[in-house]
Amino acid sequence: MILSADGYPAQTRSVVGVYPITELIITETTTPEQLKGFCFDSPGPTLGFISYTYGMKLRGIASSKPYDFPLGHLKKYKAIVSFENEKLTFSSSHQTLIDTLSEMLGNMSAHSDTQIDYGPTLSRMKKSLDKNGYEDGVRRTLEYIRSGHTYQLNLSTRLSWHCPELNPLALFTTLCREHPAPFYAWLISGQKRILSTSPERFLAVRDGHVLSQPIKGTLRFDVLTPDAHRQLTDSPKESAELSMIVDLVRNDISANCDYGSVHVKNHKSVFAVDNLLQMYADVHGTLRTDKDCLDLFLDAFPGGSITGCPKKSSMEIIERLEPHSRGIYCGSIVIIEDERNMDSSIAIRTATFDMKTHVLDSYAGSGIVVDSDPVREYQETMAKAEKFLALGES
Amino acid sequence: MNILLIDNNDSFTRNLEHLLVSAVAGCNVDIKPYSRLDSLEYSAYDLIIISPGPGEPAEYPGYKRIFNADKPVLGICLGMQIINELHGGATGRLNGCVHGKTDIIKFDGTKRVVARYHSLKVTMVSSKLDILAVNRDDVVMCLGNAEKRLLGYQFHPESFMTPDGGGYIAFALHFLGLN
Repeated sequence: MILSADGYPAQTRSVVGVYPITELIITETTTPEQLKGFCFDSPGPTLGFISYTYGMKLRGIASSKPYDFPLGHLKKYKAIVSFENEKLTFSSSHQTLIDTLSEMLGNMSAHSDTQIDYGPTLSRMKKSLDKNGYEDGVRRTLEYIRSGHTYQLNLSTRLSWHCPELNPLALFTTLCREHPAPFYAWLISGQKRILSTSPERFLAVRDGHVLSQPIKGTLRFDVLTPDAHRQLTDSPKESAELSMIVDLVRNDISANCDYGSVHVKNHKSVFAVDNLLQMYADVHGTLRTDKDCLDLFLDAFPGGSITGCPKKSSMEIIERLEPHSRGIYCGSIVIIEDERNMDSSIAIRTATFDMKTHVLDSYAGSGIVVDSDPVREYQETMAKAEKFLALGES
Repeated sequence: MNILLIDNNDSFTRNLEHLLVSAVAGCNVDIKPYSRLDSLEYSAYDLIIISPGPGEPAEYPGYKRIFNADKPVLGICLGMQIINELHGGATGRLNGCVHGKTDIIKFDGTKRVVARYHSLKVTMVSSKLDILAVNRDDVVMCLGNAEKRLLGYQFHPESFMTPDGGGYIAFALHFLGLN
């Protein structure tokens, strides 16, 4: 299920897959050809996720950290329900299913204010990198920057709660209602539940037109003032963060785009989400006719905004500095319709819940550049985790 | 024109490829990873380009072969530092390193805006190379030797923040005697 709120630059279609009919669980040995076969050899859209950890495999970076999640999970469905421009659309080869869904969802507005209690307040949070650990990681990153091994690096921490009475779907709908963003996604993968509340598009392809909208540069606000936009866009540090990633995204889509087609628009645009002002740019291109959207996706994956650049070197350093496996965090939620149509998010502001261990894991990070201050970067990271932190004690 | 672009595990190599194709009519660009440096055959190429990359020149041994191939060589960022070191110069840390920002340099007689991404700088210029541009802090931004057909840019002509990136490729072709 992908739910997109109105009014954001990355707003997309809301889509629900009903009754999975076939699935592909991605492992270390899954090849890009197998991914393509699953997505393109039978009709109908594919929904699911591809993890950052699979991206490490693509970029040739080994990890020995334990990880109990699939490296990705894609599904095709018996029916697809879409919501776009105030209009519900049903797609299925089973007319009776369409009729049933139409009847069920025709009454949806009558229940739209229904709130379900997601359970007690979260408590006993553990961090994979606590304040001191995170600030030390920033200081180590700064040394890597000064030696030229990275220009910018995204450092993250994992926040974990044990919450046996949590209703994760109710939590997801509560978050969606109270903190809307363009790429909410609810996915089921075995005993895991994925709650993604991302504001960021990774790559969209519409009839071969490519759009990436990297976000870099963050300013927390309590009350939005006209000065706040300027404070963000005038900051040399925040501007450099975005510019680096724009050059990286240009590079990453260029491998599969027509020569001369890659260009940047709306550089240093700003939008508000989760009490944060975020800066972004639009990077456009034209998908080569001999390439498909999965060629584009896999060559550009994982997204530059959550690795840093140069990409491979930064990912190797991340693997050394972060004690946790990122898994789906910083991976991508995707909907792949055909060879030239796709949309995908960067899976940030994303949590997972294990229905057996009852552990909720959420993650947050920030981009470290040479001007970064360890204390401020930790504060920015916690600001990005705020909608999860607000659920319980920190 | 056949161009060999050697990729030092960089993230901007494709930007450079797109810039070259737009700036050099009818060119063919082959991108080869640094890991294959020892096995590369250079005879089919008119121009060799050493890409940017993380780290310092000492981490990229084996480039001497390139300079023995009697081909014009253009180095970008790390590539410029490699050209300088292998001709007797030295590299060191740049105080307050600069990434993803623009600077103004005087180049080819005019003031230009260029994009910079570097933690290191040329600390000693090879006696075989001439300084062709510096910024206001005297950081070397371009060096070369027309006779030896060597040119290096410390800044990034392929960045979207460098206006008229193609102009620097045209300058390089002229400087290296390729047009």
